[in-house]
Amino acid sequence: MSEGLNYTFLIDTFFIALSGVPITLLVTIVALLFALPLGFLLALTRINQVPILNWFSRIYVSFVRGTPIIIQIFIVYASVPLILSLFFEKYNININVYNINPIWYAFIVFSFSTTAILIEVFRSALSTVNKGQLEAAQSVGLSNFQAYRRIVIPQALVVAMPNICTATVNLIKATSLGYAMSLQEITLKAKVAANVGYNYVEAYIDIFLVYIILCSLVEYGFKLYEKRLRRYKYVSA
Amino acid sequence: MEKYFDISYIWNSLPVLLPFLRVTFMVAGLSIIFGTFFGLILAVMKLGKSKVAQKIANFYTTVLRCTPSIVLLFLVYYGVPALADNFGLYLHDLNTAVFVVITFTLQFAAIMSEVIRSAYESIEKGQFEAAVSVGLSPLQAYRRIIFPQALVVGLPNFGNGLIALLQEGSLAYTIGLIDIVGKANLIIAANYNTHALEIFIALAVVYWVISILIEKFFGKLEKVFSKGKQTINTN
Repeated sequence: MSEGLNYTFLIDTFFIALSGVPITLLVTIVALLFALPLGFLLALTRINQVPILNWFSRIYVSFVRGTPIIIQIFIVYASVPLILSLFFEKYNININVYNINPIWYAFIVFSFSTTAILIEVFRSALSTVNKGQLEAAQSVGLSNFQAYRRIVIPQALVVAMPNICTATVNLIKATSLGYAMSLQEITLKAKVAANVGYNYVEAYIDIFLVYIILCSLVEYGFKLYEKRLRRYKYVSA
Repeated sequence: MEKYFDISYIWNSLPVLLPFLRVTFMVAGLSIIFGTFFGLILAVMKLGKSKVAQKIANFYTTVLRCTPSIVLLFLVYYGVPALADNFGLYLHDLNTAVFVVITFTLQFAAIMSEVIRSAYESIEKGQFEAAVSVGLSPLQAYRRIIFPQALVVGLPNFGNGLIALLQEGSLAYTIGLIDIVGKANLIIAANYNTHALEIFIALAVVYWVISILIEKFFGKLEKVFSKGKQTINTN
């Protein structure tokens, strides 16, 4: 039964898998664009102990960290069409909810989960900045907003960067679960190609390689950026 | 007409789902045992003097960190029997749980190697030297001095790794393991794909509760083990 690897298929499918990269990156970037500001704001509510929002973000973070992402996908994929169809029925909007591009669900799920992860990242990063820094900034006449923008955030960002990098890599990995929503990304494209001739081993080797290349590049990019950011850290030294 | 959303499905599915936690826990438990052991070997390789061993261990960790669990799962599921064919072994009928355990052992080992390495490196060299200088053998120094201190440092990361493993383990249903997620999908199929949302909510609740319990347990454990620890009080 052993026929070895089908090398032509291996090479062809590698490019098919590669063609899924833009979708993966699009979902990742949209999720990050959504999650970075929101995560930061919610982290501020945790640190400043804003009454109701504080509890909300605690429960939110606990839920996202406590449940597998695939189940979050299932829940969104099952509930959003239900809610939308009720909504459309009520207002007589003639849109079939089952024709919505799955990428919208992907945006919702991954923004939702990444926000929670980033709340924790920013919270721990902000708590490493000495309170005296904020007080000193205010005492020389900076407004609260200026103090955060010029003094606190640059310092917190240096601490947060490695964790943001990990979160991004995890997000890229998590988009591989988009197949459950029939999102046309790396995994699904290669899998569909493999269905024709049952060349699953080759297809998964390709997917494996694409993710390694993608994640290594992202990690490398973050490392370069971290180096640039680090100049904030040694100014006072 | 039937309701779209019926909350009673959540309650009714829980007693059916919970017995299948046994499978989930068994797979996770075996992966933790093997993964910790394998991770220890990797950590020793990383901390050792051999440059080649360091390179290999670091490369392994990087690769595993960059691979989505689902991809690794299928790679193992299809790849291991295909590889075994070359050696004349027929593994296609193997229980799916075995493939799941192999996958998560590989993955957990990568996590654990970093946890162990960082915990070990957080302990000052002077501790070991001091222990040896008062007459302990190196083995005793590791067992009595280094290990108890490194354990405290490593515990929170170990707990996080455990929760991560449990959650990634939910993907095992994709290769046909009937754990709690697999059972949930069977229930939904038996309901002709209706009321999927309720079942998934029940599933989310189960995972959420388990994660909170693990977190609480590790918090307690950390307190117990760090009772001898003295740090500068910064407040």
